[in-house]
Amino acid sequence: MDLHVIARYPFLEEAREWVKSEAVSIEEVLNEAVYDRARERAMERVKQAVEKGIIKPYPCVEESDCVMEIFSYPIARMIVAAVESDFLIRRYALAEAKKAYETLKNEDASFINFMLEKFGISMHDGKIHFTDYLKYAPTWHSKWKLVNRIMERGYIRLEKNEMARLLQEAIRKKIQDELFYLFAPPEVRKIFGELINRLRAKTVVKEDKKYEGEESMVYFPPCIKSLISAARNGINIPHVGRFTLVTFLNAVGMPIDDIVSLFRSSPDFNEEKTRYQIEHITGKISGTIYSVPKCATIRTWGLCNPDELCRKVSHPMIYYRIKRGKNEVPKEKVL
Amino acid sequence: MRFLKKKFYEYYLKPDIIFPSRIDRREFAFLSFSDTMMRRHISFPTRDRLLYYLRINAPAHAYYSSAYYRRPDAATMQEKEWMGADLIFDLDADHIPGAFESGYENALRMVKKEMKKLLDFLLEDFGFDKNKMHVFFSGGRGYHCHVFDRRVIELGSGERREIVDYITARGLDMDSVIVEKEIFADGYSIKKVEIMPSLPSWRGRIARGIIEFLKEIKSMEREDAIKKMMELEGIGRKIAESIYDSLDEERMKRIEEGMIDQLSAYKRLIKPLAKKLAVSLHSSTDEPVTADIKRLIRLPGSLHGKTGLKVEKVDIDAIDEFEPLRDAIAFGDEIVEIEVKKPFSIEMNEERYELKKGRARVPEYVAVFAVARGFAEG
Repeated sequence: MDLHVIARYPFLEEAREWVKSEAVSIEEVLNEAVYDRARERAMERVKQAVEKGIIKPYPCVEESDCVMEIFSYPIARMIVAAVESDFLIRRYALAEAKKAYETLKNEDASFINFMLEKFGISMHDGKIHFTDYLKYAPTWHSKWKLVNRIMERGYIRLEKNEMARLLQEAIRKKIQDELFYLFAPPEVRKIFGELINRLRAKTVVKEDKKYEGEESMVYFPPCIKSLISAARNGINIPHVGRFTLVTFLNAVGMPIDDIVSLFRSSPDFNEEKTRYQIEHITGKISGTIYSVPKCATIRTWGLCNPDELCRKVSHPMIYYRIKRGKNEVPKEKVL
Repeated sequence: MRFLKKKFYEYYLKPDIIFPSRIDRREFAFLSFSDTMMRRHISFPTRDRLLYYLRINAPAHAYYSSAYYRRPDAATMQEKEWMGADLIFDLDADHIPGAFESGYENALRMVKKEMKKLLDFLLEDFGFDKNKMHVFFSGGRGYHCHVFDRRVIELGSGERREIVDYITARGLDMDSVIVEKEIFADGYSIKKVEIMPSLPSWRGRIARGIIEFLKEIKSMEREDAIKKMMELEGIGRKIAESIYDSLDEERMKRIEEGMIDQLSAYKRLIKPLAKKLAVSLHSSTDEPVTADIKRLIRLPGSLHGKTGLKVEKVDIDAIDEFEPLRDAIAFGDEIVEIEVKKPFSIEMNEERYELKKGRARVPEYVAVFAVARGFAEG
């Protein structure tokens, strides 16, 4: 695939393949001077997403421009993931999708078709099946409501720019879903620390700290659940287990007093000591907030007892966020 | 109640259950004659286990989930893990205003008419395969339509709501079904409306509806035609008169070709006609049924505890011939004696029964129906 096309749609598998084939390590992209421009552009992507809600296209004249543009995308994703904000993830995904829409509507029909196929939508004579339509159409607009479309035997005819609009939504979903599962390497925090902190101050406060007491516990991953029940039943938990538990509960916004009392049943409970340790881990004393260990680490500590969802995530906080995101349980009815 | 329970036990020795697909993924729920609370979160790995349960418990009402779950017997939705759901339409006489004023039999007839409208939408507009749809008489006051097309199973609630809105014409943009044209002739501009009867979906439906309606109007006596038009919402005597009086041969011909002039009066027809063409699917509380992806529905072939009738499959091609009070009867015609407490009249199995207070000798199926409805004791 042409580099210019990959640069326009850097979220495609083809872009990932290309980056892979270049055999450049994450360290190089994050540190080497050659990639200065890519890192600049990555920060610009995130900043434009937050400030303008759309990312402006990058003029790719020469091949090297394309290369920088392509590399800037995975870096931007890492920055967004490092901020750990649902709000930012949503806003960034939308801004990338809008950027894609702006160029998609000018692509030719065969390219649109190729893109549709990428998202599992098949087109027959310019028509798509209504189930595909409903997955991605902005039906809150009257014009997009199914009732106002011409549908024949399950198929709906769409104009090219309408196809591009559907693709915008498909792209937004794809980018957003990927970001929910992405965990940024710690190095990203160092290199883009200033930007990340600024974005975090802007966006994070409102969400993760939405701790709703016991209510929130149903969304905890199994490892954390077992640690809690062990603590409550007075079973002695190894140091790494306590560390995992405290960093996690702090990250989801549980008040320190509540965390302390969780350990009350421990055989060797000492309130003063426990409080000191917790305040140390949560940054109240040390000034460093320890982050929640990732799944791989928890696994090597022997604390992992995975369920279905665990297999798809690499970090306990991602598990929590995904599960909490899906928690709307409609009322049941009986016919 | 003893009588009814006994009869239900007899039925469930050899019931005609139509099993839902992937039975091990479904939640089942039952209500017995003595329970006030529904027994929920029950699952069966095989059909035989379900039959065994029915035989032992002979429930008054039996339901299963339209949804497929990873763990159907888990107590909370969170733990159940939703995997998908069939698309279900529930048409109930309760949803049709005034349906019961003319009695139970007539109410059921009105629901069947709505079901036919629904089927037309599902086959023509949505293009569902007849083989992937089942229609059932609910045993009570309505009909259910189940669609188990693979492509709809994973649709979420918002997407299903769009389907409901489609068949009920909710959110239908009246300006999108017609095209207004300004025509200049001899220095004047005339506004005309173009309708497209040959188009699929709502645009065509409305156009055909208007043409058919006006043809009918034209064939009627003036006073009758005006009365009929005035039954529509938003049509007063003046408008009705102006439509009737202007409807000459030539104008009718133009309308059949898709051109409507004198638009202000004719445009008024669109909205009320759309309402007539749409399916009445909403209950009085206006809660869309189909959009709910976690519903319980009556098990096909089970008995309805408030009628003793069976949840019976309806042949889609022969829906006109289906008579619930003949075809959904689950019991025999052996004569039994009942004590009628409340006089009632019902036509079952093509025979009318007018029962007065006191002892009466009737076929078993009438007895079961009367006792279940609370008109008599066994």
